[in-house]
Amino acid sequence: MRRSGYRETMGALLVAGLGLSAAACGSDESARPTQGTGATAAGNAPVSISINCVPPKTNKAERQNFEDDMAEFQKLNPDIKIEKASDAFPCYEPRTFEAKLAGGRLETVFYANFPNVGRLMESGQAADITPYLDTVKTYGDLNGSTEIFKKDGKVYGVPTDGYGMGLVYNRKLFTQAGLDPNNPPRTWAEVQAAAKRIAALGPGYVGFGEYSGGNTGGWHFTASIYGHGGDVITPDGRKAAFNTPEGRAVLENLKQMRWADDSMGSRLFIKWEDLMKAMAGGRMGMMLGAPDVLVPLRNDFQARFEDYAVAAQPEAKALLNGGKGFMINPKATPEQIRAGLKWIEFQYLTPGKGQLDYERARSQDYPVGQPYPDLWKAGSATGTQVLDARKQHATVDPAQYAQWVEGSKGLPAKPEPGPYAQEIYAILDTPMSAVLTRKGADVERLLADAEAKVDALLAKKG
Amino acid sequence: MTELTTAPGRPPGAPADPGRRPRKQGRASRPRRPIPTEFRTAVSPHQLNSRRGRTVYWTVLVTVVTGFTAVFVFPLYWMVTGAMKSTEDLLRIPPSLLPPRFTLEAYLEAWELLDLGLLLGNTALYAGGAWLFTLAIDVTAAYALSKLRPVLGRLVLGLMLATLMIPPMVIMLPAYLTVKDLPILGWDLLNTPWAIWLPAAANGFNIFLLKRFFDSIPGELLEAAEIDGASPGRILWSIVMPVSRPILGVVSILTVVNVWRDFVWPLLVLPDNEKMSVSIGIASLSAQMPQNVLIASLVIASIPTIVVFFVFQRQIMAGLTAGGLKG
Amino acid sequence: MRGARGRPPTRRRRDVKRNLTAYGFLCGALICFAFFSWYPMVWEVVLSFQRTNFVDPPVWVGLENFVTVFEDAAFGPAWKNTALFTLLALVCGYGIPFVVAIVLNELRHARAYLRFVVYLPVMLPPAVGVLLFQWFYDPEAGLFNQILGFLHLPPLDWLNSSDTALISLVVVSTWMNLGSGTLIYLAALQTVPSELYEAAELDGAGLLKRIRHVTIPQTRLILLVMLLLQIVATMQVFIEPYLLTGGGPENSTVSVVYLMYQYAFNFGNVNGGNALGVMLMLVLMVFSALYLRLSRDDTKEEAPR
Repeated sequence: MRRSGYRETMGALLVAGLGLSAAACGSDESARPTQGTGATAAGNAPVSISINCVPPKTNKAERQNFEDDMAEFQKLNPDIKIEKASDAFPCYEPRTFEAKLAGGRLETVFYANFPNVGRLMESGQAADITPYLDTVKTYGDLNGSTEIFKKDGKVYGVPTDGYGMGLVYNRKLFTQAGLDPNNPPRTWAEVQAAAKRIAALGPGYVGFGEYSGGNTGGWHFTASIYGHGGDVITPDGRKAAFNTPEGRAVLENLKQMRWADDSMGSRLFIKWEDLMKAMAGGRMGMMLGAPDVLVPLRNDFQARFEDYAVAAQPEAKALLNGGKGFMINPKATPEQIRAGLKWIEFQYLTPGKGQLDYERARSQDYPVGQPYPDLWKAGSATGTQVLDARKQHATVDPAQYAQWVEGSKGLPAKPEPGPYAQEIYAILDTPMSAVLTRKGADVERLLADAEAKVDALLAKKG
Repeated sequence: MTELTTAPGRPPGAPADPGRRPRKQGRASRPRRPIPTEFRTAVSPHQLNSRRGRTVYWTVLVTVVTGFTAVFVFPLYWMVTGAMKSTEDLLRIPPSLLPPRFTLEAYLEAWELLDLGLLLGNTALYAGGAWLFTLAIDVTAAYALSKLRPVLGRLVLGLMLATLMIPPMVIMLPAYLTVKDLPILGWDLLNTPWAIWLPAAANGFNIFLLKRFFDSIPGELLEAAEIDGASPGRILWSIVMPVSRPILGVVSILTVVNVWRDFVWPLLVLPDNEKMSVSIGIASLSAQMPQNVLIASLVIASIPTIVVFFVFQRQIMAGLTAGGLKG
Repeated sequence: MRGARGRPPTRRRRDVKRNLTAYGFLCGALICFAFFSWYPMVWEVVLSFQRTNFVDPPVWVGLENFVTVFEDAAFGPAWKNTALFTLLALVCGYGIPFVVAIVLNELRHARAYLRFVVYLPVMLPPAVGVLLFQWFYDPEAGLFNQILGFLHLPPLDWLNSSDTALISLVVVSTWMNLGSGTLIYLAALQTVPSELYEAAELDGAGLLKRIRHVTIPQTRLILLVMLLLQIVATMQVFIEPYLLTGGGPENSTVSVVYLMYQYAFNFGNVNGGNALGVMLMLVLMVFSALYLRLSRDDTKEEAPR
C-alpha cells in the first residue's frame, strides 16, 4: 500500500522533472544553473550540510577549484552553509568510508561508487530522496544510470559519473611490437594474438594484465562475463547465473593466455592500483578498464597520457556500468536533503560548473574531451549542452577514445550484481586466481564450486 | 629469573661477555689460543679444545657468521642499494650486486612524494605521547596497587591482568567502534593522537612488570619517608622512581617500539592521509610508487627503529627477556 | 574500610585517606582500561548477537551472525590456514630459534655481532619487512628468483600459487620474528648451571644426551611459555595476507583476522566480524589461560629463592 503510493509519487515527480527540463530546453541555457539553484528557502535560517569527496591537498589545482566551487555555491545559495568538507583519495576509501558508515557519521552528502550503492540501500544507510527529487532540475535528462540508485520504486541517490568498460591499451607498446595502435583488437582472438606479440618483446613484458584477488578479480570477472553476454546472478537476484558457457569462456580465455600463450606474466594483481601501476610502468600491453582510468594513469601514476588509448571491450554484448554518485545521510532533515541535492546538482550535473567546467579544466592543462561522464539521455538538453562544451574545449586526441565510443555505442549497460556484490566478488576471486595461478585449473569445477557458494550466500540473504 | 629485570642486559649467572676477552688479547695468535671455556655450556671444554673440537668450532663459527650475515644483513643491504638503482636496473636479470652509481635521488623523491617528514613526525608524536601517558598512568597505577594496596586492589589487578589473555587484535572491531564514539562522553577520537595514546596506556603487561618491581622495593625505605611526612606522590617521585630506573627503561622502550611498529591499530584509527603513521602511509601508497622509490621509503622508515636499537640495545634486549619470560 | 571498624579513628582516617589516594593514582589506568579493554571485550560479545547498521537501534538476532560466518565460503579456509600458518610458524619460528640459540650459546666469538644481527629484522616495522619481501618474492625482478636463476634452479611462484603462498607468508613472518625467540632462549640457556653439565659429563653422557637431559629440562618452562606465546601471536596473523596476497590465490592465505577485517570493512557487516572475533577470542583464551597458569607456577617455584 505504502510502497505503491511512493511509486506513484515518484512517477509524478519524474514527469514533473521531465516537463521542467523540457521547458528549460527552450529557455535561456546559460541562465539556467543559477535559476536551478535559486533560493527556494531564501530568508529562512541557513541550512548546514557537510560534504565529502574533496580532492586531496596534494592535488593542489583541483583542490583549489573545488574550494572555489564551494564558495560560489554558497554565494548562489545564501541559505546553505557547507560547514564541513572532507577529503579522501580515492573518494571511496574502504577504511575511511566504512568507518564513518559504521558510526553513522557520513557527511550529509556522501560519495558512493556503484558497487556499494545496492548494499547501502539494502541496509537503510541512505535517505529516501524521492519526495525531494524536484530539487534536481535536470534529473529527468539523466539516462539509465539512475536505475542503480532505485529500489522498490524509491530513489536513494543521484549518479554523477558513468561509463562502460573498455579495453585500455598502450599505444607505444603496440607500435614497438609491430601492431597498429590505431587498430586495436576487436575480438578475444585478436587480443590473444596481440598479447603474444607484446609478451614476446622480452622478459618482463606482459601482453594482457588481469586482477585475481582482493575483490577486484570478481569485479573484472563480472565485467568480462557481461561482455560475453552472460550474467552473474539471475534477474530476481536469488541464484548464481555464471556457471554457463559465457562464464567458462571468460576463464578459458584467461587460461589460454596465461598458460598456453604465456602472455600474462606471472605477477599477481590484487589492488586496483596494482594493475594501474603495471600499466603506467610501460611494459603491459592491455587490460580491461573504463575510459576514466587514463586520467589517474597520468595524474597519479606518472604515465604519459598520449601513450594510452581505450578501445571497446572485445566482442561485447553488454557492459558493466561503472560509475559513482552521491547519496544522502539517512539522518538528514528534509531541508538538508534539499540543500544536499542542490550541491550535487551544482557541482556535478550543471553544464559549465564544477566537474563540467571544461573551460577551466582546459586552462589548467587537464585533459578535456574524454567521453564521460556518460550520464544523459541521447539528445536531451543537458546532454547536448555538455557534449558541445566538451567538444569545444577538447584537448585530448579524440583517437584515444574513438574506438571505445564507436564500439560501445548502443550496448546495454548493466549494473553490478545486486546488494551483495562485494561478497560475490570475494567468492569469484577464487576461480579468477585459480586460472591465473594454477596451470591445471579445472574451469568447470571452479565455476560449479563458486556457483554453490553464491547460491548459498543469496539463499541466506533471502 | 625474577632478577632479570633488575639487571638488564645480562641474565643472572652469565659472566661478562665471554666473547670479549680473546679479541682484546690480539688477533694474530688466534688459531693457537685455546677457546675460552670459563663459561661451561653443553659442549665440554676438553672436547672443545681438542684438535678436532677446534676444527669443528671454527667451522661452525664461520658458517654461522656467514649464514647470519646472508640471511639477516644481506636483505637490508639489498634494500639500501636497491633504492639506488633505476627501475630498469631493478628489472635487469641477473641483477648487479652494486648499484651502478651512488645516488640518493630515490630517497629524496620518496621523502617528497610520500611526505615522509610528516609521516615520521606523526609517528614520533604518537610514540612520544604514548610513552608519556603509559609512564604517567601505569606507574601511578602499579604503585597504588603495590604499595597503597587499596580496597578491591586485588580485583582491579586481576581485571587488568585478565586483559593479557585477550590479544588486542581480537577486540579490534569493538575497540575501534569505541574510539570512534566514546561511550558516555560521545567523543570521536579517530584521527587524533588520543586514539593511540590512551589505548597504549591500557597495557596489563606494563602494570604487571611495574607492580612486580615495586613489590621488591623494601617497605622500610618507604615507611621511613612516610614518617618524615612525605606524601605518597612525593614518595613515588623521589624514592620509588629513582630506584626503578631499570624497569622504567624497559617499559619505556617496549612502549615506544610497540607504537612505532604497530600496524593494525593505526590502520583503523588514523584513516586520514595527514594523520597516518609511517607504516600505514607507506603501505597504503606502496602500490602507486615506482619500485625504487618504494624501496627508498622502506629504508627511511626503518632508520629510526634501527637507530633506537643501536642506542638502546641493552634495554631492548632486557625488555625482550622480561617480555618473553613473563609476557 | 570494612576492616577499619573499631580501630582508633586516626588509623581509620588514614585508611580512608590511603584508599582515596590509591584510587586517585589508579583513576587514569581505570579509565583507560575501562574504555579500551574491558568495555570492548564485553561489547564484542554483545555485537556478535546483534544486527546493527548504526542508524536504527540494534536488533537481537541470536546466533544468526555466527551462522552467517560459519556458512561463509572462506570460513573453513580461514581457520585451516590460520591453523596451518600457526603450525608452520611454530616449526620455523619455534624450533629453529631453539637450535640457533643452542649453537650461539656454544660460540665464544662474534657473540655481540650475532645477537645484534639476528635481532635486526625484529626492529624493522612489520610493514617494512612485509613490503620488502613483496619485492623479494616478485616472480620476475625479485631477489629470490634471481638467486634461484643464478643457481640454475627453476623459479618458484612464491605468493602467486596456492601451493606456496602460505609458506611464503610463514617465511616472512619467521624472518621478522626469529630474533626475539633466539635471544630469549639464549638468555634462558645462560641460566643453566654449569655443574649440571659437568655432572652429566661425569656420568658419561654425550653431547646430544646432555642437551636432552640437561638443557631441555632446565629450560622447559621457558620453552612451554614461548610455545603458548607463539601460538597466541601467530594465530592473529593479519598483516602478511593483508599486504601481500589479499587472502588469495584461491583463498589459500585468508586468515581468521583477515576475514574479520573483510567482514567489517569490505562487506559492511560489523556483526559478522564480531562473531568471528568471539570465536577467535574463545580459542585464544584457552592458550592464554594455559600460559598464565604456567607463568604463575613459575613465580611460585621461584618464590622461596
